[in-house]
Parts: sequence; C-alpha cells; structure tokens
Amino acid sequence: MKRYLTGIDWIINAIDYSSRKQTGVGNISQVIIEFDGLLNEPELRKQLQDCLKNNPVLCGYPARAINLCPYWKISRENKALTLNTHYFSKNLNFDDVLSFFEKQMSVSFKGKKEHLIFNLVFQEDKSFLGMIFDHRLLEARGAEAFINVLGNRLSLVTGKSLVEPSHLNNWKDKFRAGKQVNRSFLHLTKGNARCLKKDGTHSLNEFKVVTFSPQESTRIIDNSYKEAGYLMLMPYILAKSILILHRMFEKRKDPIADYLIPVSIDKRPAQLIKKDIFFNHLSFFLFRISPQEADSFPMLLASIKEQMYNQVKSGLPEAFSKASFLMRIAPLPIVYLLLRLMTKGEIASFTFSFLGESSYESKHFLNTQIQNIFHLPRVPYPPGIGIFFNQYQGRLNATLSYIKGLITEPEINQILNALRELE
Amino acid sequence: MHKLTLKETEEKLINQIALILSLDSSKIKPDVQLHTLGVDSLSFVELLVFIEKEFKIKLMESGLAREDFKTIQSLAARIQKSL
Repeated sequence: MKRYLTGIDWIINAIDYSSRKQTGVGNISQVIIEFDGLLNEPELRKQLQDCLKNNPVLCGYPARAINLCPYWKISRENKALTLNTHYFSKNLNFDDVLSFFEKQMSVSFKGKKEHLIFNLVFQEDKSFLGMIFDHRLLEARGAEAFINVLGNRLSLVTGKSLVEPSHLNNWKDKFRAGKQVNRSFLHLTKGNARCLKKDGTHSLNEFKVVTFSPQESTRIIDNSYKEAGYLMLMPYILAKSILILHRMFEKRKDPIADYLIPVSIDKRPAQLIKKDIFFNHLSFFLFRISPQEADSFPMLLASIKEQMYNQVKSGLPEAFSKASFLMRIAPLPIVYLLLRLMTKGEIASFTFSFLGESSYESKHFLNTQIQNIFHLPRVPYPPGIGIFFNQYQGRLNATLSYIKGLITEPEINQILNALRELE
Repeated sequence: MHKLTLKETEEKLINQIALILSLDSSKIKPDVQLHTLGVDSLSFVELLVFIEKEFKIKLMESGLAREDFKTIQSLAARIQKSL
C-alpha cells in the first residue's frame, strides 16, 4: 500500500534529511501531557498495541514510485511501539522533568520504520507522557489529534489522509505558482537576514517552557485584542517574540540586517484535522521585519498584520503548497540545497509557530485528568532558535527551543524573563 | 446594483465563514461570537480579505475593535456603515 507524498511532505523530508546529516537525529518534535494523577500504564500499552495493529501507516517509510513520485510505503510488518517507563523522586521539580524529556530528544528512532517513541514518567501522585514524533508522519496539530484518538479510545478516521493522488497533472498551474513564490522570495530575501552564527560543533537542542495560568492567558488574549485587534492573537505574540529576540540581537555586535521569520500555518479547520491526522498539511508565511520596525511595537504589529493580510490576499501560502510539487522530482539533498539557495543560506532569523487551541479537546486522557499539554519542537540550524506557542483549554504555553551554545545563559534568561512578562 | 440589506450582508458572511471553517452554514447564527465558531487569526484575515474583495472595504487597518467584529451581526452592521 502506498500514500503519495505532497510537495510539502517532500520539503519536510528534506529538512529531516539535513537534520540527520548534521546531528544524527531527524526532524522530530515531542508533545508532552502533564497529568493530575497516575496514568494507567497497562491500559496505555493496550491502546498503543491496538492503534498500531489498525494503522500500519505508523510503520511506513518514504520510497520512490516508478512514475518518480515519492510515496510513503505502508508496511504490513507490525512492529511494537516503544513505551519506556520511568519513576522520579518527589523532590524533583518541573525543570528536572523537562530536562529528562529534553534528553530524550537526542534519541534516534530504531530503523526506518519507527516514527514514535513514548516515555511515561511517574512522580509521586503525578505523571507525564511524552510522545516523540517524526515530522514526516505527523505535524504538531496532527500529533495532538493522534493522542486525542489514543486518549479517548476513538477509532482513527484515516481514509482521507491516506489517500493522496500522485498530483502528476496541472503542471501549468504549478509552474505559475512557482513563478509567484519565486518572485515573493526574491523580494522577501533581498539583502542579508539577521541570524545567529554557529561556532563549534554543538548540535544538541535545549528547551525552556514558560507556562501561563488560565487567568494569565486570558489577560494576554485580552491585551492582544486591545493592542492588535479582535482575534489578532497570533500576530500579537509573533510581534512580542520578534521584539524579545530583537533585544537579544541588539546586544550582540553582529552586523545589522532585517529579520526573516517563516511561520508555519495550517489553514484547515479543527474538525478536518481530526479526520486527516497523518502527514503534512502545512504552508508558510514569510515575514521580513526591519530593525527600525522591530524598535517600535506599534510599527512592528502593523507591519506583521499588513504582511499577513497581503500574503493571504495574494494566495502565497496556497501558491507555496502548489509550487512545492515541482520539487518532488529532486532527491532530498538537492531539495535542501535549493531551499538554502532561495534564502541565500540564511533560511531564517528564527522560527515561530502558534498552534492555537489544541486539537486535543478533552480534559482527560484514558480517564486521567490532564493539567497541561505543551510541545518541544527541535530546531535545525540554521536558524537554530525558535519560539513556539500552543494553547490547551485556553491556557497558553511558550517554548524556547535552541541549539546549545548558540545563545548564552544570560541571553536565555533575558528571553525567558521577557516571555514571562508577556502577561 | 442595489445596496445590500443587513440580512443579505449577514448571509454572505455566514456562507463565507462556513466555507472557511468547513461548517454547515445553516448552523451558523448571526449573533454568535466569531471565536466560539473556531475563527482564529488566520481565518479572520481570510474573512477580511473576502470582505475587501466582495464589498471593496479594507477593514484590516481599522483597528479591528472587538465590538465591531465580535459577531456576524455586528460585522455586517460595520460593513453596512461603510458601504
């Protein structure tokens, strides 16, 4: 059985290839569920077994068809899913637990058919479940939708996401979209972009998580409505993130240049994500911000809103998805090289994403009450740094992900303090 | 071309929101708050782009005050005011 990969899937595969080449670990992320209580381990194992038995896509791997289209080969081999259990002393705090999950992000999958690793941590009357996932199979919202299936004993509705045509038609359309993307990229990537320079061979990702209480989150959302406008939470926290990193860059002696920020977006409504869990359905906005704009919060906000509006109006995210089909013919090293050439090697100043309200809607997972859900996404170099927000039951979380050694301890503290002051 | 009534403007907005969010338009009530329907920053901007194309009104620069935009009813009234 095969599922053809889209152009966006192929780009994600190229990022995975590059990440493996540089660090030995692919383009992975981890979603962590924090419980108010102890999760039932035998029940979780049974759920995982059933899920794997019914969904061989979980053991698939990329291959190329005779028509040259890349596809996901859905294997019939039923491999067990890895679930490791750990017991922590009650004296350890949240940062210690986070540090444990951080270390798991350096663990490679076993063989080409493993794409998920689960770690279950028990700590006195609390527990945590971390799911490390391969971005080639799941994007962040898909991962949340997948644990929604696991945690609520739902049957997976995979029909749609597992049927993808080869898209070997409408070439005129795809070339037209390619032209549009190329023009936009030329405009957006003119001159250099401000980014961190990597010295040494550090490749370990580190993560810091800032969680906001429901009351703090409500205040942030209200502030965003007041300052950026109704429903403008994403542009607001992107503007705040740029401002925070701008302050860090300003203290460095690096040459001054504009910021280039790719923002991944999923235009599908929440209901559709639940039905279409696997693979990548992303597209991107690309924002270019001058240091002068970053100096003034109102100017920064206005620029982000204007760029977002213009990119939606011109259909750039759709054009990017369409044009990416043209890249499928190229082998992964060439795709990655092309992406670097398009952005003159400076792919971004940092990466940003806002997941919005979680695809995991229930307050329980296998009858255990959930306290919070947050993400630890690995950031490849370049840019080697990213700020990611998600929201669960109205509660906001911010994750700072960076390559160890790329930013200093005082810079990390400065960023974290500024994120905490968002409220 | 006749000037659209408030009801007609609401209907156009409901149909577009249903399209953006893959919802059944008959289930969208004009007095419901947009965020409770699942409208977020991105889908809201898509709606604003639709308004510009359909009604030739650019609302993105208007400040997007909550009282003008929170329901389909108030948004339709805001559009009517600008027509």
